[in-house]
Amino acid sequence: MNLWLGFLIGLKEIWAHKFRSFLTMSGVILGVASLLSMFSLTAGMAKGMREYMQQVGGIERVGINTQEVPAEEEGYWEISPGRTVADAEIIARSAPLVSHVTPVSQINNAAIQRTNQTFRGEVAGCWPDFIPINKHTVAAGRGLSDLDVERGLRVCVIGRLAVQKLWPERPKDDPIGETIRINDRPFKVVGVFEYYEREEDKRRRELGAKAPPVNRLSSRPGGGGGGIGGGRGGGRFSPFERKNLTVIIPISTMFWEFKSANMVGKEDQGPQLKLDALTFQVADTNRFEETLEQVHSLIETTHRGIHDFTFDTRQEWFDAIEQNVRNTRMSGGLIAGISLLVGGIGITNIMLASITERIREIGVRRAVGAKGRDIFVQIVVESAVIGVIGGLLGLVASTGIMQILIAISPEANAPVVELDSVLISFGFAVVIGVFSGIYPAWKASRLDPIEALRYG
Amino acid sequence: MPLIELRDVTRRYLIGEQEILALNGINLDIAQGEYASIIGPSGSGKSTLMHLLGCLDTPSSGTMHIDGIDVSRASGNRLAELRNAKIGFVFQNFNLLPKLTVLQNVELPMIYSGISAQERNKRALHAIERVELMNRIKNTPLQLSGGQMQRVAIARALVNRPKIIFADEPTGNLDSKTGATILQMFRELSEEGSTIVLVTHDNKIAAETPRRIEIRDGRIVEDALTEAAFA
Ligand SMILES: Nc1ncnc2c1ncn2[C@@H]1O[C@H](COP(=O)(O)OP(=O)(O)OP(=O)(O)O)[C@@H](O)[C@H]1O
Ligand SMILES: [Mg+2]
Repeated sequence: MNLWLGFLIGLKEIWAHKFRSFLTMSGVILGVASLLSMFSLTAGMAKGMREYMQQVGGIERVGINTQEVPAEEEGYWEISPGRTVADAEIIARSAPLVSHVTPVSQINNAAIQRTNQTFRGEVAGCWPDFIPINKHTVAAGRGLSDLDVERGLRVCVIGRLAVQKLWPERPKDDPIGETIRINDRPFKVVGVFEYYEREEDKRRRELGAKAPPVNRLSSRPGGGGGGIGGGRGGGRFSPFERKNLTVIIPISTMFWEFKSANMVGKEDQGPQLKLDALTFQVADTNRFEETLEQVHSLIETTHRGIHDFTFDTRQEWFDAIEQNVRNTRMSGGLIAGISLLVGGIGITNIMLASITERIREIGVRRAVGAKGRDIFVQIVVESAVIGVIGGLLGLVASTGIMQILIAISPEANAPVVELDSVLISFGFAVVIGVFSGIYPAWKASRLDPIEALRYG
Repeated sequence: MPLIELRDVTRRYLIGEQEILALNGINLDIAQGEYASIIGPSGSGKSTLMHLLGCLDTPSSGTMHIDGIDVSRASGNRLAELRNAKIGFVFQNFNLLPKLTVLQNVELPMIYSGISAQERNKRALHAIERVELMNRIKNTPLQLSGGQMQRVAIARALVNRPKIIFADEPTGNLDSKTGATILQMFRELSEEGSTIVLVTHDNKIAAETPRRIEIRDGRIVEDALTEAAFA
């Protein structure tokens, strides 16, 4: 007997007991629906997280942090100059595996002012490479240039949110060439960064379905989830807000104007100033470790062998996030899987009842030449058909569930239905269908033909 | 060589500690084209013998050959193949599948012999024509009379062109008039060359078959030609 015929017989059998079959399927339907919904929800979360990770510089961004020196170097740690511009320079010069590097010296609570508008925020002195390392994009005007740094010019590039705070009356304009004051020193705005937001918000905004970003930003409560822990109601990531508030100036200007360094141009005129941050970008993430070693040996030299520095990579952090996504998926999958298993037990149960009703039929089929395995195949196929139909209905049901989820949480990381998840959920239902049929089918295939014929 | 050959066949049943010897030393040859009846009182072992002859069961001891094939120790799968290819059954209670149509019931044996759907249909229609039920092919068994159901069963038994047809009390559930038409049909089939063995406990029916095999307590007590053989 071929499978197609078995499939048709199965369909007929199910149709003959519509209501009973539907009740049996409901477990599978719910299981598949929850499995797919859960996959799609976590996929949406993961997508949001990855977008965010990319926005904050991606895996390729590495910071060089200070750390307490090891005990054996305790006595003479002072011979190390600490993190200085010289570190950045030697990396820029001698580390081919590094694509970008920038020293950062910052003021955390600078007064940023234009006529009567003031806000307090972070101002970073840096090199032009700050922009690619932190995945900034200049939307209007220009970024910092080497010349700005060399000459210590009083220029700045500012984020869209800073523009909005300083020019509330025309938040969408690009105030290139205008002057703002940072801690009472005049700075010329030479560039404005792009407005950073989640891809999805951007798409929605571009479709015109939502109000322009400026209005949204002011009306939106800061922070909130969005991440794994944040749940579906989560608003905007505060880091996006922080990124949109960025104000950068040349590092030389920072030293000269605010840190009273003995520097003229890039010439070191005295003991070097310590940096607040030193970040670089790995050119090829496949050679990540190699790159770190290269930088390590360079910094070891400039720090005169003192190990007062450490690398701050996002590897662990990103791994943790990915792990989180996986865990959520696993536990959600487990629960949905269990409900599918329960559905499978329902199928087994109904198939056992069904073969008891059909002992005579089985006897007749055996008498006219069916082998045990023909009976086995027939029952398993029938059970698999329940799984297949239940799975298909489950997929339909899950689109309904996701519509509801999207409707009640419009700001959530929208569920992403991936083909993989659809196939896995559906495949699982089919597998459950097949496995549920095995025991009843085995029982049916072992019935003695004579006894089966005599039955009832 | 006979079509069926049984030598010293026994069939034992164990019920708890007690052993029942349902068949006790059966020697029997049935030749191609024969029309025979097996008769005996209730519990004499008729059905047990039928099940052996029909490859639904195997002997506890002794040997049995069908068409030259030793089936005494054949596996379940082998027996199924033999039933499918060489044997047709007609039962007292018809044993049709109530959810299938007449046509589908008749097609059933061919599903298990790997015959194409087209060929199945052709052969099933041919067999149904033979039992004169062409106007009922779309009906289900429950919409038919007893005699019609038994004719469907006969068509099903014929459809794989078996070597031999076994009928266990084929008229047992029918009134005498309907039963007579069924017996008439067996007679015709026999005249056309089919080998038929039917089980009955009715002497009148047994007298109509050319050969009459009587068993009692699991033994053949008489095996002789009847007047019908010379008619
Ligand atoms: N599966 C079984 N288990 C135990 N004993 C059995 C079994 N089948 C038949 N028997 C016994 O074997 C003997 C022969 O039974 P069988 O059914 O062959 O009789 P029969 O001649 O067909 O009777 P009837 O005319 O009533 O149909 C009986 O004693 C019966 O009880
Ligand atoms: Mg009997």
